[in-house]
Amino acid sequence: MNSSDKKYSRELADHFFRNEYGKIVSVVTKYIGTNNVETAEDIVQETLLKAVDYWQHHGIPNNPQAWLYTTAKNHTLNILKRKKHKIEYESKIKKESTHLELQNLQITEDLIKDQQLKMMFVCCHPSISENSQIALILKILCGFSITEIANAFFTTKDTINKRLVRGRKQLKTSQISFDLPKNHEERLNSILKTIYLLFNEGYSPSQQNKVIRHDLCFEAIRLGEILIDNTHIQQKSEIYALLALMYLNTARFESRNEDGILVEMHKQNRKKWNQALINQGIEYLNKTIKENKISIYHILATISGYHCIAPSFEDTNWSEILMLYDSLLELQDTPLVRLNRSIPLAKVKGNITGIHTLLDLKANSDIGNHYLFHATLAEFYIQEKQTRNAIESLHQAISLCNNERDILQLEKKIKDVSL
Amino acid sequence: MKEFMLFIRSEETPKANLSPEQLQQHIEKVGGFIKRLTEEGKMKSAQPLEMKGRILSYKNGKIIDGPYNETKEIISGYYHILAKDLEEAIEITKGDPRFEEGIWRIEIRPVMKVEGIN
Repeated sequence: MNSSDKKYSRELADHFFRNEYGKIVSVVTKYIGTNNVETAEDIVQETLLKAVDYWQHHGIPNNPQAWLYTTAKNHTLNILKRKKHKIEYESKIKKESTHLELQNLQITEDLIKDQQLKMMFVCCHPSISENSQIALILKILCGFSITEIANAFFTTKDTINKRLVRGRKQLKTSQISFDLPKNHEERLNSILKTIYLLFNEGYSPSQQNKVIRHDLCFEAIRLGEILIDNTHIQQKSEIYALLALMYLNTARFESRNEDGILVEMHKQNRKKWNQALINQGIEYLNKTIKENKISIYHILATISGYHCIAPSFEDTNWSEILMLYDSLLELQDTPLVRLNRSIPLAKVKGNITGIHTLLDLKANSDIGNHYLFHATLAEFYIQEKQTRNAIESLHQAISLCNNERDILQLEKKIKDVSL
Repeated sequence: MKEFMLFIRSEETPKANLSPEQLQQHIEKVGGFIKRLTEEGKMKSAQPLEMKGRILSYKNGKIIDGPYNETKEIISGYYHILAKDLEEAIEITKGDPRFEEGIWRIEIRPVMKVEGIN
């Protein structure tokens, strides 16, 4: 084997570029400030382009990460020298110290993780809208292109670009610092919320493009893992809970979708559930017990955990799940939570109780506008062999549903019931 | 075996709009293509070119510099390959995975040989 063969035998880890993009943008931003985050992104994109030209001809270097950091560092220093991009400093001293610091930069895993954490606080700053927060996180920290984000969200490049522009503008006008916020334990909530929204975008069953959606779920998990690894955060119970929830739900990703159609849980093939992800989720769930804090994520993760360990839909610990929904109601009393609660309620106390509870809920909220309400009600009627009511509810569900594939499924149900 | 020069043509900064994920795929695919041809002895050399340079020409008795490029198209790299004939060179070129990205054109030119001299 000659030397060039040896070099070429090296392979890049999956999503290496995408992940490094977010890391390097965060490190560069430490030196040039949050109002220049776009310049930081340009620096990293150019660094990656250089790597492509060099590596595709000469093979992947022994330490690809170090190669990228050295190139990005030199590029940043050049830009600072050339003043081509206007970088504003608080003072001349600050400028000189920045140069020196950057020149002597030693990259360590801890340094990278700290900058990623700071970048998360920046992207999730309360002055930025949730839409823009998610777009910024995906663009800056996850290394997605605008086209990729647009595909994931079923929207246009233009829409995503507008969200990014608004977000970046807010970074400038609010003069958001790149230092770790003093109240970072409190502000952690907003990061967790954004990660959870990002996860739900990926997990949403009514959207197509499975590969990208799966990627969003794993990116949300990766961001959570960055938080877990960080030493600046002391109280990690809620992060563990959110991670547990994401792992336990992702474990069922493959089985809940067949040819783009949502498979209801009682029809899912449990053998397709990913045991490794379930184990990871349960492990995190156990770690949450250390702190005496109960969040929405704790409850949702525990519910998901009961589903994951049940041998079958019928043999699920429904009474525990019902109690968990009761505690969830104390933290988050919404019609949608009540709708979901009706399922374990019907399992424990019978379908008739489920039907009465749903009819009460409809009288006291606008949940009747949601097709899932009628689909759930129909399911109870089917179990009780009240065929006429079931068909009526299914028709109502169809009239409120926008998703063609879900409509097909509801229509099929009407046929099955009518037989 | 005959020699061919393959000129890789594209618009300026062709890869600028590729995402990090796509760039990584480019390295893996195109890098793998170059590696395979090198191992088979068909690739003599392959290099990317910088986006800027100079064009010199002779006008009114003196050498002038530029204008560099009036069109948006630019040669962004080259391959120097060996093939039995033009048909095989075309087949080899078709195998370049960069075509999937839809932003490249490759010009295939046989290196001129005059028998008995070269």
